[in-house]
Amino acid sequence: MARDYDHLFKLLIIGDSGVGKSSLLLRFADNTFSGSYITTIGVDFKIKTVSLDGQKVKLQIWDTAGQERFRTITSTYYRGTHGVIVVYDVTNGESFANVKRWLHEIEQNCDVVNRVLVGNKNDTPDRKVVLTEDAQRFADTMNIQLFETSAKDNVNVEEMFMAITRLVLRSKQEMKERQNITQNETVNLRKSNKQGKKKCC
Amino acid sequence: MGSRIRENVKHFFECFCEVVPPTGDKAAWIIQQYPDKYKDEEVLKAVPNFAYPYKFENTVIQHYSFVLTDLESKWTFGFCRHDPRGETAIVVLSYLPWHQAFYKFLDNIAVLMTSPRSEDLSEFLSAVYNTKLAEAGKYFTVPFNRGESNFSVEVPKPFQLPSIPENRNLTEYYNAVDSHNMMIIFASMLYERRIIFTSKKLKRLSACVQSANDVIYPMIWQHIFIPVLPMALIDYLLAPMPFLIGVPEEVMKKVQRHEIGEVVILDADANTVTTPFDDLNNLPQEVITSLKRQLKNKSALLGDGVSRAFLRALVQLIGGYRDGLRIQEAQKITFDQEKFIETRPVSFQPFLREMLHLQIFQQFIEERLAMLNNGLGFSDEFEMETFRYSVQSGSKLKQQYKDWTSTMKKEGSAFFKSVKEKANPAVKSAVKTVKDGGKGVKSAYRGLRSRLKENQGPQQLQNGLDSPSDKPRSAPNSPTGKRRTFAGISVPTTNHRKDTALSFKSSGFERSYSPLSPTSQPMSPDGLDNSRSGSPNLEFPRIDLMNEMKDLLQLRLDTPPVDRSLKPVRSLENFKQHTSPTSHSPDRWVFPSRTGAPMASPPKRFFLPNQPSSETQNLLLQSPDDVFSSPPVPPRVAAKDLFGTTPFVVAGGHSENGDPLFLVANQHSIDIVKLSPPTCSPRRKPEDMEDLIRLDSTSDTDDFDPLKTNSYSSSAPLSLSNPLYTYENHTTKQNGSVQNRNDQDLLQEYGLDFSFTSAPNQQIFDPFAGTSASNKVNSQSQWTRFD
Repeated sequence: MARDYDHLFKLLIIGDSGVGKSSLLLRFADNTFSGSYITTIGVDFKIKTVSLDGQKVKLQIWDTAGQERFRTITSTYYRGTHGVIVVYDVTNGESFANVKRWLHEIEQNCDVVNRVLVGNKNDTPDRKVVLTEDAQRFADTMNIQLFETSAKDNVNVEEMFMAITRLVLRSKQEMKERQNITQNETVNLRKSNKQGKKKCC
Repeated sequence: MGSRIRENVKHFFECFCEVVPPTGDKAAWIIQQYPDKYKDEEVLKAVPNFAYPYKFENTVIQHYSFVLTDLESKWTFGFCRHDPRGETAIVVLSYLPWHQAFYKFLDNIAVLMTSPRSEDLSEFLSAVYNTKLAEAGKYFTVPFNRGESNFSVEVPKPFQLPSIPENRNLTEYYNAVDSHNMMIIFASMLYERRIIFTSKKLKRLSACVQSANDVIYPMIWQHIFIPVLPMALIDYLLAPMPFLIGVPEEVMKKVQRHEIGEVVILDADANTVTTPFDDLNNLPQEVITSLKRQLKNKSALLGDGVSRAFLRALVQLIGGYRDGLRIQEAQKITFDQEKFIETRPVSFQPFLREMLHLQIFQQFIEERLAMLNNGLGFSDEFEMETFRYSVQSGSKLKQQYKDWTSTMKKEGSAFFKSVKEKANPAVKSAVKTVKDGGKGVKSAYRGLRSRLKENQGPQQLQNGLDSPSDKPRSAPNSPTGKRRTFAGISVPTTNHRKDTALSFKSSGFERSYSPLSPTSQPMSPDGLDNSRSGSPNLEFPRIDLMNEMKDLLQLRLDTPPVDRSLKPVRSLENFKQHTSPTSHSPDRWVFPSRTGAPMASPPKRFFLPNQPSSETQNLLLQSPDDVFSSPPVPPRVAAKDLFGTTPFVVAGGHSENGDPLFLVANQHSIDIVKLSPPTCSPRRKPEDMEDLIRLDSTSDTDDFDPLKTNSYSSSAPLSLSNPLYTYENHTTKQNGSVQNRNDQDLLQEYGLDFSFTSAPNQQIFDPFAGTSASNKVNSQSQWTRFD
């Protein structure tokens, strides 16, 4: 089967339930009518193929149910992914607190993560409780890009997905340049975890 | 919190659906459901997919379960029944993972669906739906058929490690997958891999996946969990996150292996594991060695031996989490990862460092901290096993925790928010567990201890179970020393083994029971009292037990030659010669009853008059010895539901490598359970000989006594926070005064009894109801004395 893309990237979207992850995916994905399984098997994914620098990149974006029950999301969760989209709800302070904690965890356990920070539901200024300045300050300390989006009004959504795609593509190319592509897939976990770090980070 | 089982379940089931299979390009669909008010559209849309995960030809009645996960990541169980004679599948959705009970329920429904009186089914469903769930250990009984029949299932006890053969899932897993492969899967789960199970049988598939999760107790799989993956969802195998997915063989054929990346695959039909990792060998060597040894000791595996072997491995690995606890006055208890690692044996440290990055471990810690901070103490089976394993650190910690809870109480802290609701069962369970913990542990743990000593195991083992520093009342720490404290007190237990032994001896059954012989039909409908059954028009569906059995036999019996020197009473060989003289190949047995007659269950068994079913309960066989020495006899068939929820052994025989086999009859099928006899087979290889010699010399120093192990576990330490069983109601028992006294002693010992000065039979503890001054004073004065 001929591949209809140059790169396949698997991304994760994380954040409390209710922050609008599904809406973001629906807004972005190719086929919004493909149905959702998040409420029946606890996991869902959406696909979109985008063009970037003349290359076709196929994105799979994965979501799982009930992440808010985790105080930390551990590195095994990110092991097989290329990038992480971290979403909070600008009208919900707790969702931002969770996100901060999770990002610290990623920071501790992965060397270099491709990740973006997303403040969704940025469409009702009255209800906004997570101020842009606070979020931006946090994003800067974590060295991470911040996007305030509205899935409802389709604001900044496309830009955000393109940004993470660009990050992942760039790190893949850098990795290639470093000729760091030989991987022994069957080494023991201690080693493979390090590989995992490179991969997920 | 970690549990994925829902608590406070109101109904036995949530929804019943009848599903029409897919035809041509038309997908499967729901033709009727009960209750109509069940409106979860997404779930209803998904059910047909799971009822017909792929297009399959149905030749036998089969039951299996699937699992749905909601937005909060809680599980809903779907129990499904296919009947070749029916044109539809029936599905029951429930929050309760009571597989046996629901398969029985489905059979009952199937019979009622053919009832000439069309209201029968809806009346039955509504009766069951609206009946309040019984307490754990009691029977959930619903009369139906205009009061002439009873549907009755036992509500599983709050805590029991899954047992063979009672737990059908584990029995299936154990039969399909050898212990080495079970260990590989166990290790892969501890590394949170992406794991696929595959089988051509849906029942085996889903049983194996669910059992694999059961044996990592006290941890719980936190990731994607789909015991049966429908064809329509095949793309979900591309998920980059950890998963545990059961993929039917037909679906597996469509999978592009190269697309799914690094994945561990267990073929449950072929008993093979393919993995790109070396996870098992990366576990600490001590743990593997001890686990291997326990799983090799086949005579101890009947009952909860398998579950307990894995539980012990986890106790070795993570039981020491207690040493990482930071207990400070007036602060929440926290977990210090570094402290935890540093207190572990050096050889464990690399693995444990990895373990800190596991979601399942993190959730385990979260759950334990929540338990402790709620004042619930150390009260489940895992903690008990840990106490047995590591005495000194246990008692030190216990004292510390006691002090802490005491301080917290004095300060009237608001930390114990949920104590009101939870303390009573917790306290009770702690007591019960403690009390039962003493029993049978002595012999069991001497063995473990001495072995671990040989192995230079973790240091705390050296502290010994009978450490003299222990005070007489700290029963759980020191079973050898303290057990006597309880010796004179009669503890009501549900010891199946004892009961069974009694019932076999005293019930005066004369007819020998030979279900496999075509001439003897103990389960035959003819023997039943037809006049007493409600609906003579109903015809019982044919369950092809023989087919199931044949499958199992083919799977298991294609190994080395039979050792006939052992003493089976009813060898399968005999059976074979009797019934299929033309068959010469030992692994190709032909059963005479493919047509179903002898094995068919009584057609009216669902409509038996209301009778206590204690005897059915007790049909479980005692031990390997019992199989050989006294063939099980049937109870008075006429009045009993032979295939109650309790499986029983219907025959014993030998596999070709000399291991005894038991045919364990369940309501729906016959399973084979393989065991090693407690005697020495002359054909054993030398290394096995060693084992057997050790086995023979067990007495009380070395090996685990399967009976004892099982009996103390089946006497059910009620546990508070067993993630597997959190849905259950905790029984609040009214105990006799003697026992109550005893409970209190233990409670004090644990620093857990907050208010026992109130009336002895007070149902609801209210440990921190500081509003009542007098009560408070009383509690204070009766508070645990520190000496």
